[in-house]
Order: sequence, then structure tokens, then C-alpha cells
Amino acid sequence: MLNWMQGLEAAIHEIGRSLSAAYPPAIRHPARTVDQRLMQMVAERPDVQAALFRFVDATPACRTPEELTEHLTALLEEVEDPPAMFKAPEALGRGRVGEKLVGSVAAAGVRHLAQRFIVGESPKAASGHLQKLWRDGAGTSLDLLGEATVTQDEADHYAARCTDAIDVLSTAVRKWPERPVLERDFAGQIPRANVSVKISALTPLIRPSAPELGADDAARRLVPLLRRARDAGTPLHIDMESVDTLETTMHLVLDLLADPEFHDGPSTGVVMQAYLRESPAIVDRVLSWARAHPRAVPLTVRLVKGAYWDHEVAEARQRGWEPPVFTEKADSDRNFEALTRRLIDARPGIRLAVASHNLRSVSHAVAYNRLTGGGDSDIEIQVLQGLGDDLKDALAAHKIRTRVYCPVGDLVMGMAYLVRRLLENTASTSFLSAHGRGVPIEQLLAAP
Amino acid sequence: MSAFANEPILELRRAAARAGLTDALARLDATLPLRVPVLVGGGEGTAEGIDSTDPGRPDRLVARAGVASAADVVDAVDRATRAQPAWARRTPDERTGALRRAANLLRAERHTLAALQVRECGKPWAEADADVCEAIDHIEYAVHQALALAAGKELLQLPGEKNQLHYRPRGVVAAIGPWNFPLAIPAGLVATGLATGNAVLLKPAEQAPASGHRLVQALRRGGVPDDIIQLLPGYGETGAALVAHPGVHIIAFTGSEPVGLAIIRAASETPDGQRHVKRVVAEMGGKNAIIVDSDADLDQVVPDVLRSAFAFAGQKCSAAARVLVHEAVADTLLDRLRGAVESLRVGQAEDFSIDVPPVIEQEAQQRVMDAIATGAREGRIGAQQADIPDVGWFCPPTIVAGLPPDASVSRDEIFGPVLTLEAVASVDAALDVVNASRYALTGGIFTRNPRVIDKVIERSPVGNLYINRAITGAIVARQPFGGNRRSGIGAKVGGPDYVLQFVDPQVITENTMRHGLVVE
Repeated sequence: MLNWMQGLEAAIHEIGRSLSAAYPPAIRHPARTVDQRLMQMVAERPDVQAALFRFVDATPACRTPEELTEHLTALLEEVEDPPAMFKAPEALGRGRVGEKLVGSVAAAGVRHLAQRFIVGESPKAASGHLQKLWRDGAGTSLDLLGEATVTQDEADHYAARCTDAIDVLSTAVRKWPERPVLERDFAGQIPRANVSVKISALTPLIRPSAPELGADDAARRLVPLLRRARDAGTPLHIDMESVDTLETTMHLVLDLLADPEFHDGPSTGVVMQAYLRESPAIVDRVLSWARAHPRAVPLTVRLVKGAYWDHEVAEARQRGWEPPVFTEKADSDRNFEALTRRLIDARPGIRLAVASHNLRSVSHAVAYNRLTGGGDSDIEIQVLQGLGDDLKDALAAHKIRTRVYCPVGDLVMGMAYLVRRLLENTASTSFLSAHGRGVPIEQLLAAP
Repeated sequence: MSAFANEPILELRRAAARAGLTDALARLDATLPLRVPVLVGGGEGTAEGIDSTDPGRPDRLVARAGVASAADVVDAVDRATRAQPAWARRTPDERTGALRRAANLLRAERHTLAALQVRECGKPWAEADADVCEAIDHIEYAVHQALALAAGKELLQLPGEKNQLHYRPRGVVAAIGPWNFPLAIPAGLVATGLATGNAVLLKPAEQAPASGHRLVQALRRGGVPDDIIQLLPGYGETGAALVAHPGVHIIAFTGSEPVGLAIIRAASETPDGQRHVKRVVAEMGGKNAIIVDSDADLDQVVPDVLRSAFAFAGQKCSAAARVLVHEAVADTLLDRLRGAVESLRVGQAEDFSIDVPPVIEQEAQQRVMDAIATGAREGRIGAQQADIPDVGWFCPPTIVAGLPPDASVSRDEIFGPVLTLEAVASVDAALDVVNASRYALTGGIFTRNPRVIDKVIERSPVGNLYINRAITGAIVARQPFGGNRRSGIGAKVGGPDYVLQFVDPQVITENTMRHGLVVE
């Protein structure tokens, strides 16, 4: 056993070093490097970070350059001793011409940031980018960004956008060239692109204390989407959000997919969040469900760490609850590895997609999969557009099957997503931030 | 002294937590109707005269309570007056020990107490549970504050004199509680009075006598003597007799503006033989406005406005009654609110999936329906969920728009699920509207501009201002609560100044010079 564990550690380090060496040099993506520098500067100044995030958040609500300038200067006023690059807007923004100029530049800056994370305003507009990702060696999952759903009309509108995405993708992928590495695993054919949906966008009736209410209402829209996805051959993945929607989502997905109507398809996925203390029990529940409900194409589990950490912790603390998430990052990372192994062991009943930018977590999944007899194509690594670009390139160079999660939507719709991504990217504990700071590879690959 | 911490609310997104409440409700139902006698001294008086029913199913009798007579009031005040000096002489630790035990008793039966509010007030689970937690908080916070106060406060000391400032109980407190927070508000009024060494007579609202009864039972079991905490259920006459009694020193009241003003007038009388001036601590009405600036995040505004206006059917003094929205986003906001209001579920409080429960009684239902009719006549119905149960005191949650500037619907308190929406040219214009009101309880602003926030803080008359969040749900020690103008007099409950309302300061100055020497 000990030998075996040592073997796993050695393999993780070997794969990690090899992947790291394949990260593209900064010279190839100068814009990425500039953004990264900005992010690092921001990470070191929490007050600047707060002002910038709040500015990004307010951008879509500003109707004129003058309004943008007003927000930017008002927010920067709250920063004591701002870095030099932020002194200019304040000084400039005083004149009328300056107001317009600063506002326009700031808007362009936010648009530039947004474009890094959001691939297009609509599935159609995004399809060129998706094709390029495919050519470069990665499949895609399309995520439709949206405003919060508070009305039935908004839920209908979101469902219509999902339908459109399914249709656009099913047509678009036919023109893509063959990529054998990306298209087959132990269970057979893997569709080139899929669509991710959020249950909270499919109903205005999410009530944490009445999960069946939201689940029933969302089902009215999810069932036609499942049919459409099945008929079009485009997989549908159900995203996981905060704990407030956990029960609604689980209830809905496991109930619907148990219906014989969907035994043969579509290919479907759910998400498990390793930062949840209760995630081992949730994985148990999904695995026993999968054993009880064999499907023509096995259920995909996308394993993530979880993107709502701040929200979960703040909410729990305000209400006097034990936070539902691990408060130590290392605990999340360890749990992520434990769940990775359990889900790989669950093959062939489950398909696993490992979604992380942490080189250690990814290398662990690849190493464990190989050690247990899997081929590299038998697991999928997923990265986020804009955050995992370097890792994706390295994985593609290693012919490891990769999928890029690609948000689609306009700036207003994308702002909540963008702010979350920015926070994630600049959190001092994040892998990307550590990597960007030049922490040595052996340290980055150490067991959590 | 351990640090104060809030009692955690139940995590109702967990099935097990919900099951605990549902089970408690079933057990409670088997014991209905409850008997709520007049409790004067150690005796049990009548338990006849008030029938308290379930607002969602008016044929269900929840409690049968007595009505304290004028003679009961006199007897209760006499007993309290005689017993209070001994209570005041007990050490602060002894007094607060009894209160701590009472808080623990409430904690032990929190599920049942929440279930009781579901039945007695039609209060939805999350709100009922929060009310029980707040009651526990008020008791423990009162303990905390009373112990801190017992240490006195620092004065300037010079050679040859010794100065002390300490606080003494005033005597007898009449606590007159509302039905909408049937445990929490009485707990705040009562516990602060008791912890500081006063005797307290509680008159619970006639709509919710059983919750008040449970509070008094817990305090007595915890060790507060029978004569020091007494229960005087009844209608307005009982309250009026209490207020008028010359033996009462403090009247702690939460309720409507007309009753509050009547109490303030009556309490100002100083008949012969009354050797003190009564003090009134009153929380009264509100007509609370949320301002929405053009840069607000409407994704956040819509759910927070709905919660502020319609949770517990708008029956909170802090509830939102008006939205003052920047004209640039008024149409968009109303569109989204309309769809969201039409998605609200109106139904029984015991149903975890409802958003809007019934209002408290038939008279309230009539008042709300009249206001909606007036609003439809003078303006228009901007949004409404008309799908409501036939039986029970249900009202359709409604947004009224297009009202003329000084319409009664947007000026007077309705205390029901009615919200008015008015477009304004600017945040300044909204603040003018807010400042024209005679009420100043809670208020809200949604904006992403820090300069606008500063301006709203500066110009808002309200007692509790909320920025980018719902305007209800004040929590003890975090959001001390209370209004200005005609919304209230006295310090904020759940805050550091509240305890001072229940005591008289006394300053003692001693000359410590003896034969030209300072002897200290």
C-alpha cells in the first residue's frame, strides 16, 4: 500500500513537471501576461481590488461614459494612496472632455477583461471560437450567462436560449475535423460540445426550504430541453450553484433522469463540489443512484472545488451556522483528490470530468487514472475559458482529453460571472495566483 | 461575562430541520386550544373572554385567554409594587441568572414556540423561527447589558471628593406587546425591565396571548418571582387601565401609531399621589421606502424588495411600503417586479413553499382590500398575485403604481402586502419624498455609487437605513432597532442604549476630606 502511494506521488510529480514544462511561454500571449500582472497587483492591494471589482460590477448599469467616470472616481476616492496607474483617471476625470475619455477607456478595459472570459454574445457568435478551441485540441461546454431569473418569462427566455444553443452546437460541430483523442473513451463516442444549464435560471421558484417547488417548476422546462438534447445528440450538463439550490438540483436531476424516457439519452452530467463537507455523502448518493439506474450512456460527474466559497462562508457566519464548506483550502484539495479516486473507481458506471486549474489536482487525476489502468481519454479535464488557457495548451500537447467551459452572453449578463472569476483569480490562496507569483513547481505539486 | 452571540436560526434548507418543525406542529395541534389564564401573583385567574384563532383557518381555535379586569390590574400593580424592592436588592447575578435559565427554557422548546406562531399569527416558519431566536437574543442581551450597567460609569475624580454614577430600577413596568413578533418583542420589553431590577406586567396582544403566556411561564420557571412577572391578557381596556395606573413607572409599548400616541397622552397625566413622571418607550408605525437608483443591480433589487414588502404579508413595522425608483429604470423594474409578484405563492404559513401568508384578522383583511381598491381608483394596479386561498384572511400581494403625489395609499400605514411604486427624477427627489413623511422607521437604498450612499445617509431621517439589502430582519446587537419622528420614542431595542430607558441614574458625591487630609 505504502509503495503504491509512493508510486502515485511519484507519478503525480512526473506528470506535473511535464505539464508545467509545456505551459506556453509568456512571449506567445503578451496580453495574457499583462492581465496577469494587473491581477497580481490587485491581489496585493485588497482596497484596490474592492474598488475595481465594484467598478466592474457597476459597469453594465452605467449608460454613458460620464456615468462610468463618476463611478470610477467615486470608488477610487475610497482607496487611500492609490497605485500610480489609478491616479490618472481621478485627475483627468475632472474636466468634461476628460470625463468622457476616462469613461470610455474604463469601459474598454472592462470589455477587454470580459472578452477574456466570455467567448461571445450568443452561441452563434461563439461558434468560431469553439471551432478554434477544437482545432487546438479541446472540446467545449457552453454556459449561457444570464441575469437572475425572477419571473416565469425570464425562465422561459433562458430555456429558449438553451434550446438555441443545443441547435447551434449540433449543427456547428459537424463541420469540425476529426480529433480521435477527444472523441472516444471507455464508454464510446463523446460529443464534441455540450451545453451547461443552471437550474436557478430555469425557474423563479427556487426556495431553499421547499426544494420540490423549484424542482417541479424547473422540470417543466428541463424535460423539453432533455428531449431536444437527446434528439440533437448534444449532451446537457446541470451546473451546481450555492447550497441554497443543492437539494433542488439533486432532487430534479436524479428524478428526471430516472425516467425510462431518458434511459437512452441524452448524455447528461451533474456537478459535485469538493469544497462541501457533505460532498462524500453526495457522491455516495449519486453513485448508488447510478447503480440503480443504469443508462445507455453513463452519467458524467464533473468534479469541481466550488465557486461560491465566500458566499457560503459569509452566509453561514451571519446566520450562526457551521459553514457547509471546508474553511481550510488544503481540506478541499485533499477531498478533491479523494473524490477523484472514488469516481475513477466507479468506472464504468460513471464518466468523470475533473475541473480544476490546480496542476497538482489535475496531475493527481491523470496519474491515478493511469495507475488504475485507464487510458488518458477515459477521464476528461475541464478548464475555464480565460483562466485555464495555459493549462489547456499543456494538456493538449500531452494529448490529454480536455474541455473548455465557455460562458456566452452579453456584458450585463456576464458581470456576476466575471466578478466571481476575478475574485477567484486574485485570491491569494488560489493556484493560479501562486503560479503567477512564481512559486516553485515542487511546492505547487506537493500533496495538500 | 461571556460575549453575547446571536442564537442561530434553523437551517431550513435541510430536510431534517424542516421535519423537526413539522413534528412540533403536529404535537402542538393535538393540544389546541391552549388555555391562557390571567396570572396575577401566584394565582390563576380567568381564562375566558378572548378566542385566538388561526388566521389561515379561522375555525381553528388556537388559544382561549382570559381578560384581565380593572381589579386584576390594580391587584397586579399592588403586588408588583410590594415585591419589587426585594427583587431590586438581589444581586445582578441572581436576577440575570433567572433570565438566563428562562432563555434556556425557550431554547429547549424553540420548535414548539415557532409552531405556536405559525398557528397563532399565521407567521411562516422561517419568520417564526427567527422570532423565537430573537426572543432568546433579547433576554441574553438584556442580561449582558444589565451586568455591564451594574458596574456603573466612570466620572471625573478630583482630590478630596469621590464621585459615583450608578443606575437604579424605576419600579413597575407595563409592557404592552404586539402580535406580529409575539415572543421576541415582549421578550425585549420584559427582559430589559427585569434584568435591571424592575417588576413587569405583560399585556400581550389579544391576537397572540399564548406566546406571551409561554414567555411568562419560562421566566417564572427560570426563577423570576410570581409577583415580579405577571400576565394580564386582555383587550384595549386592560392596556388602558395599566397605562393609567399611578403605580406604573414605565410603559414599554410596541404597536400602532394611534394607540402609541394615546398612551403618550395618558402617561403624561400626574394625578395627586403619583410621585413620579411616567416614561414611555414606544415603537409605532412606519411607511418605509426603498430608493432604487438608476445604477442599481435589479437582480438584487427584485428579490429584496419582494422580501421586504411581502414576507409575513407585510406585517412588520420595518416592511417596505414604497419603492421610489429612478425614472430611467422604473419601467424595467416594474416589469420584473410584476413577473416576480405573479410568481409569489400565497398560502398557509405551515407550508414551507409559500411566500405570503394570511393577514392576522378579518379587520386587517378588510383594511388591506380597501387600500388596494383605493389604489386602483387613484392610480393603477401595477402587479398582483390574485391566486389566493378562499378561506382564511388572505390578501393578494399588490403593487400600486401611478398614484398622485399625496395619495393616502402611499402616505398612511397599511400593514399588509401592499407596495406602492413611484418613479422619481433623482435620488434627491426620492429623499425629498422620504423627508416629507411623518414616519421615519426603516429605509433602503440600492445603488453602486458610494457618493450616493453618503448622500442618502446624510439626508435620511430613518432610524434604520439599509444599503443594498432588504430592509427587514434587524438582529439583536447587530442592528439595534427603532424609529424616529412619529415612528417611535425611546432608544433602539437590541442596542446598547436601550437598557437606560428602564433605570434612573443616581450620582453620589462624597467629601473625603477629614481635618484637611484626603482620606480615600
